[in-house]
Amino acid sequence: MRTLAFALLAVFIIGPLMQAIVLSLTVTLPHPGVTVGDWSLVNYRNIFDNPALVASLHNSLTYVTANVILTLIVALPAAYALSRYRFVGDRHVFLLLLAFRITPPVVLSLPIFLLFARLGLLNSSFGIALVHCLFNIPIAIWILESFISAVPREFDETAFLDGNSLSRFFVVHLLPVIAPGVGVACFFCFIFSWVEVVFARILTSTGGKPITMAIDALFTFQTDIGLVMAMMVLSLVPGVALIWFVRNHIARGFQLRA
Amino acid sequence: MTPRTDNRAWLLVLPAMTVLAVVGLVPLMAVFNYAFFDIFTLQSRFWVGTEWFAELVGTSDLYAALGRSMLFSTLVVLVQFPLGIGIALIIPRGRLTGSLVLMLVAIPLVVPWNLIPMIWLNLLHPTYGTVAQVFDAIGFDFNYKFNAVHTYALLVTVDTWHWIGLVVILTYSGLSAIPLSYYQAARIDGASRAQVFWHIQLPKIRPVLLMALLLRVIDSLMIYVEAFGINAGGPMGATAFLSLELGEEINAFNYGPAAARSVLYFLLVLTVAWLFRVAMQREVR
Repeated sequence: MRTLAFALLAVFIIGPLMQAIVLSLTVTLPHPGVTVGDWSLVNYRNIFDNPALVASLHNSLTYVTANVILTLIVALPAAYALSRYRFVGDRHVFLLLLAFRITPPVVLSLPIFLLFARLGLLNSSFGIALVHCLFNIPIAIWILESFISAVPREFDETAFLDGNSLSRFFVVHLLPVIAPGVGVACFFCFIFSWVEVVFARILTSTGGKPITMAIDALFTFQTDIGLVMAMMVLSLVPGVALIWFVRNHIARGFQLRA
Repeated sequence: MTPRTDNRAWLLVLPAMTVLAVVGLVPLMAVFNYAFFDIFTLQSRFWVGTEWFAELVGTSDLYAALGRSMLFSTLVVLVQFPLGIGIALIIPRGRLTGSLVLMLVAIPLVVPWNLIPMIWLNLLHPTYGTVAQVFDAIGFDFNYKFNAVHTYALLVTVDTWHWIGLVVILTYSGLSAIPLSYYQAARIDGASRAQVFWHIQLPKIRPVLLMALLLRVIDSLMIYVEAFGINAGGPMGATAFLSLELGEEINAFNYGPAAARSVLYFLLVLTVAWLFRVAMQREVR
């Protein structure tokens, strides 16, 4: 009974992806040396022959990495403060974080475009990395806060008694203990940044296009659907790899605190 | 363990708040400002006061879009919560199967949003789509382009495929926090499976469920890319949600009205979030 339920679930989740994978391995437009309809790796080879597509892979990886690093640097101290201290306005910080997490991107698309144009951040991976902090910082703070709160306070006190400074305590003592939490936070920051389209589109009007936009640009009068699907399959690889690393901790990040 | 009071802790929160102010607060204030202007180019604009708001609130257009958005969110919640909770309940705890199922349901979460409609429209492609061929074989005339019911069915299915993992992960996270002794006590008292669910599991996972509900309601109100990719708000505007209408105004360069719409939209989302927060605080107390 339970096995049947899981099998149905697997079909529902994997099924639509299977079609994409099959298409990515099929020749859908005439290319030299292959016949349309045959099985072939030609689509994947074509990706690496196309400088725009290679650049887009590179752009996506750059801004996602920059976003994760930036988010962690500012979210870790904030999560620590929220977990360990009471201070003026701490409850409001949470409401504020919630407000930023739920702000619809389309609401902010125009002013962000104008602001970033003035700051010279258009068509740059850093611009996208920065704007994605809008929803990733709140997520990271929530997750890290719940992991830090699970560490007993005595742990901090012992470290401080041993003469550690706050920054040294963070890097040497706290980070190893909450490593799973950092992993889960990285995972969620990664996926929300990797899959986001609205900001990525408006901020890369001419250059610096990420994978998502490069795929959109492949749609022409005669679309090579096999190439599109091959690109799509490639876009899933980093995310699926990350899921593998956080699989045992993924459910722990959301113990609720209001 | 009560946290210590120390206002210097603000210094630790400051970097995060600074980044959020730059990418969130400043643009929000700009939106608020634009909402009171008629904007031709951004250099020439005219103060129009609350005209855009009056126009929006005065016509039935806004309420129709709001109704469609709420219908969609309701459908999403009604489908995804029973399903997600059901899946989370049957995942075995702390075993390889458990992590495999969690991994499986998390896969759609990492698919870039503009590719999701592509994947599903492929399944419905008349020549090579598997699902289209199945429908053909059983003689079911599925027409998501021109039949509103079918468009909604497709959108809800796609959204469920995409987000069910989040509901499952959150519910599973809540369930794993329940101490085993609760179940043992229930077994000794001879409680049935249903009684265990209603009296132990459900009350214990309520806070996490509220969190999941908040995220799902808000994210479904925000749905843009998928709805646009599948039918661009059609047929006859039947799936023209709040966010799609807003996107249309922006694409038409009607910045003033778009900003006014944005302000109302943001206030709506904020109200929903605030209601949830009140509910959550009551829950924790």
